[in-house]
Amino acid sequence: MRHINSEEPLVITEDLSKMFGDFIALHPLNVKVFAGEFFGVFGPNGAGKSTFIRLLTGQLQSSMGNAEVLGIDVKKMPQRLKANIGIVPESESPPSYLTPYEYLYFIGRLRRLDDLQNKVLHWLDWFGMNDKKDTMCKDLSKGQRQKIMLACAFIHEPRLLFLDEPFANLDPIYQRKCRTWLLDHVAKGGTIFMCSHVLEVAERLCTRLAIIDHGKVLVSGKISDIKEADSETLEDVFIRLVGQSDNEEE
Amino acid sequence: MPLTLKEENDSEFSKYIEPGLFGSVGITFKMMFREEWRQNIDFAKKRHVLLFPALLALFSMLITLGFPFLVGEGVPDSINPVKENRAFSWDEMKQALHVLLFMGSLGLGTFAFIGRVMVSQRAGGLNYLLAAPALQPLKLSVTYFSYYLKEVTFYILLILIPVVIGMAIAVFSTTQTGLFPIKPASLFVTFIGMILTLSQGLAISFLGSAVWTRGGYFSKLVPLIAFLSALVFALGYLPFESLIIGLKWQYTHDLTWIPLGFIASVSLALLGSFLVSDDFEHQIIERDELFLPVHKRLGFLDWGPIGWLTLGIIKSGKKNTKLRLLVTKEIVELIRSGTVKKMIVSYSIPLAVLLLMAWAVDFAEAPIPVNLLSYAPFLGFFGFNYYSWLTAIDSPAHYDGLPVSVPEVIRAKVTVYFLSTTWISIIFLVLMAWNLDAWWTLPGAFIVMIANSIYIVSLTAFLMGLRPNKAIFDASIMVWFWVGTVIPLLLLFVLSFTQGDTALIQNWAETIRAEGVNANSTGPLDVSVETRAGFGAIFAISAGITLLGAGLLRLIDFKWGKENFES
Repeated sequence: MRHINSEEPLVITEDLSKMFGDFIALHPLNVKVFAGEFFGVFGPNGAGKSTFIRLLTGQLQSSMGNAEVLGIDVKKMPQRLKANIGIVPESESPPSYLTPYEYLYFIGRLRRLDDLQNKVLHWLDWFGMNDKKDTMCKDLSKGQRQKIMLACAFIHEPRLLFLDEPFANLDPIYQRKCRTWLLDHVAKGGTIFMCSHVLEVAERLCTRLAIIDHGKVLVSGKISDIKEADSETLEDVFIRLVGQSDNEEE
Repeated sequence: MPLTLKEENDSEFSKYIEPGLFGSVGITFKMMFREEWRQNIDFAKKRHVLLFPALLALFSMLITLGFPFLVGEGVPDSINPVKENRAFSWDEMKQALHVLLFMGSLGLGTFAFIGRVMVSQRAGGLNYLLAAPALQPLKLSVTYFSYYLKEVTFYILLILIPVVIGMAIAVFSTTQTGLFPIKPASLFVTFIGMILTLSQGLAISFLGSAVWTRGGYFSKLVPLIAFLSALVFALGYLPFESLIIGLKWQYTHDLTWIPLGFIASVSLALLGSFLVSDDFEHQIIERDELFLPVHKRLGFLDWGPIGWLTLGIIKSGKKNTKLRLLVTKEIVELIRSGTVKKMIVSYSIPLAVLLLMAWAVDFAEAPIPVNLLSYAPFLGFFGFNYYSWLTAIDSPAHYDGLPVSVPEVIRAKVTVYFLSTTWISIIFLVLMAWNLDAWWTLPGAFIVMIANSIYIVSLTAFLMGLRPNKAIFDASIMVWFWVGTVIPLLLLFVLSFTQGDTALIQNWAETIRAEGVNANSTGPLDVSVETRAGFGAIFAISAGITLLGAGLLRLIDFKWGKENFES
C-alpha cells in the first residue's frame, strides 16, 4: 500500500453556498476532505447533496464562497478539474444513440488515454457488458446504463471520485464488486466523495461523513464520533438529527 | 510522437490537462455524426432514409430538365417563341435557389434552442453528446461548434449532394443535344454556392439563437434584427447577394468569395459557440400556479365536436376531460419553457414580411393577380413548422406509464396549435384585407385559411406523429407530405387568381344590401363565368380538405394507436 498523505486536503470549501432565486439550496459550507478518505454526504431527499457535488465538480456555479478541488479553483478552471476527477451523476445516462463501446472510446479519446482500446475492453468486461458493447445506450436497462456511467468515471483511474448515489440501480453482485473496487482505490491512495441516503453504505465504506438537511451540515466526523451512545445506530442518529432539523425549519 | 495530455507525476495517479478546441472537435464531430445517423435510422428504416436523397435527386433532375422552359433558352422557338415572354431570368432562378436554401438553413440552424432542450432533458429518457460537458472535460463551445460542423456535413450529404447528382444526370443526359443551357462546369459552381449558402444560413441562425438564449434584452433584440433584416431584403433595399455569399459567388464566379464565405460562416458559428449560455445551471424557479387557471379557461374543450361547431349551444353529453387536461399541460409547458415566444416570433415574422411586401408592392403592376385569397392557403402551410416546435418542448416518454395514448397526445398538440396560431392568422388576414382594400374577400380568406390549417396540421400529425423533425427525412413520409400539401396549395393559389378583382363577392354583397331578404344569387352580377367557377372551386377544395383533415385526425388512432412514447 502506498503512503497516503492524509494531511493533504483535496477538497476545500470556504463559505460555499448556492441559491436558486430566493431558495437557499446550500447554506455556507466549510468542508475539507483529505487524501485517502472515503467521505460520505448523507441526507434526506432534497437536502442539497446533489447540489453540493455539482458545485464541487464545476457543474454548478456557486452563489457565494470558493471551492478548491485537487488544488484547482473550481470556478475558474472547471474543465481542468473535470479532466482530473471522475463523476458519477445521480440520474444522467450515457448518450442514447451511442453504444457503450463508442461512448467509452469517446471519453478516452477526449482524455487522451494511452492503450485506450484495451482500457475500454477491460471496463466493459469488468462490468459484464461485453455482450452489450454494440447495443445503443437507449436500449440498455437502467442498471446497465449506470454501469457505463461508472466505467466512464473509472476509466482514467482518477485520484478523486465524486459519486452521487452510485449503487442506486446496480444489482447486489455489482454493488459488492464496485464497493470492493472503491475500497481498493482508497487503499491505493485514492479519495472518494460520495452522496447517498443509504446509511448502510456509510457504515460499510465511509471513513468520515456529514449529514446534511435543508442545505445545512447537521453533523460531520467519524461514525463513532457522531453517535451519542454505543447502542445508537447510524439510522437512529440520522432520524434524530433530521427530525430536529425538520422541526426547526417548521 | 503521440501528443499526450498526461503530465509527468510521481504519484500513482496521473494529472491531466483538459483538451483544447482542436484536440476535441475531431472526435466529438465524428461521434455526433454517428449519433445523428443513428437517430435518423432509429426513426425511419435505413432504406427510407436512403430513399430521401434518391427522391431529392429525382426531383432535382426533373426541375433541371424543366429549366430551359422556365428561362426560355435551349427550347425550340415554337415552344417559346418570344424570349420576353419567358417566366424567369437566369439570375432570378439563381436567386430563388439560394434564397430558398438560405431560408431553409435559417430554420434548421437554431442549435442553441435545440441544445438547450437536449441539455435540460439529459436526466430524462434520452441523452445526447451535446450534454457531455456536464461531466466530461469538454467545453460547451466545443460541443456546439462540433454540432454545427456535423449539421453542415449532414445536410450536404443528405440534401446538397443528391440535388447536384440530380442536376448532373439532367445535364449529362442532354449534352449530346447541344441545346441544353446548363454546362457541366456550372454544376461545380452551383454546388460550391449551395454549400456556402447552407453553411452561412446555419451559422447565422445558430448565432442568433445563441444570442437569444442569453435572455434579457437579447431575446428582444434578435427577433427585431431578424425582422428588420428580412424587411430590408424582402423590400429590395439591399440585394440578396449582399447577404448571401453563395449567391454572390454564383453571380460573379469570383473565386475569392469561396474562402471568404467559409471563413465568414465558420467565424459566425465559432462566435455562436462561445456565446451559448451555460445551461447546466439548474434553476429552481417558483412560479405562480398556472395549470388550474389554464384548465379553467379551457372548459370549451369539453363540449366535443358538435359543441365546437355550434359554439357551445349543443354540448356533448360526454365530457372529454382528457383532451382538456392534456391541452392544459401542453399550454403550461409551452409558456413555462419560453418556447411560445420563439414560436410566435417564427410564425409572425414571415407573415409580417408578407404584409409589408404587399403594402410596398403595387400588385396592379404584377403580372399575376395576387390577392387576399392567394395568401390564405400559405398561413396553413406554416403550420408544419409550428407543430414541429410543439413536439420538441419535452420528451413525452413519461406518458408511457400513464393511461394516455400517443394519438391522444397528438390530438392535444394539434389543438394547442389551433389555439395558439389562429388569432395570429386572423390578425394577419384582417391587416392584409385592410392593406389591399379587399374586405369583401375576408370571409372567404378566413375559410380558406382555417381549412388549410386544419388539413396541413392534421396531415403532419397523421404522417409524422410526435417526431416531425425526424420523420420529414423519411422518404416515404416526405413524398406523401409533399404530394398532400403541394397539390391543394397550388390549386388554391392558382384558383385565387380568378378572384383578383373580388367582383363576385362584392356584387353578391351589393345585391344583398340593395334587395335585403329578397336578394337572389342570380341578381345583376357582372362577373365572368371563370370567376364564378373559380370561386366555387376554391370553396369546394376548402370543404374537401377540411373533411380530409378531420378524417386524418380520426385515422391517427389507426396509425399511432399501438405506438409507445419512447419509440
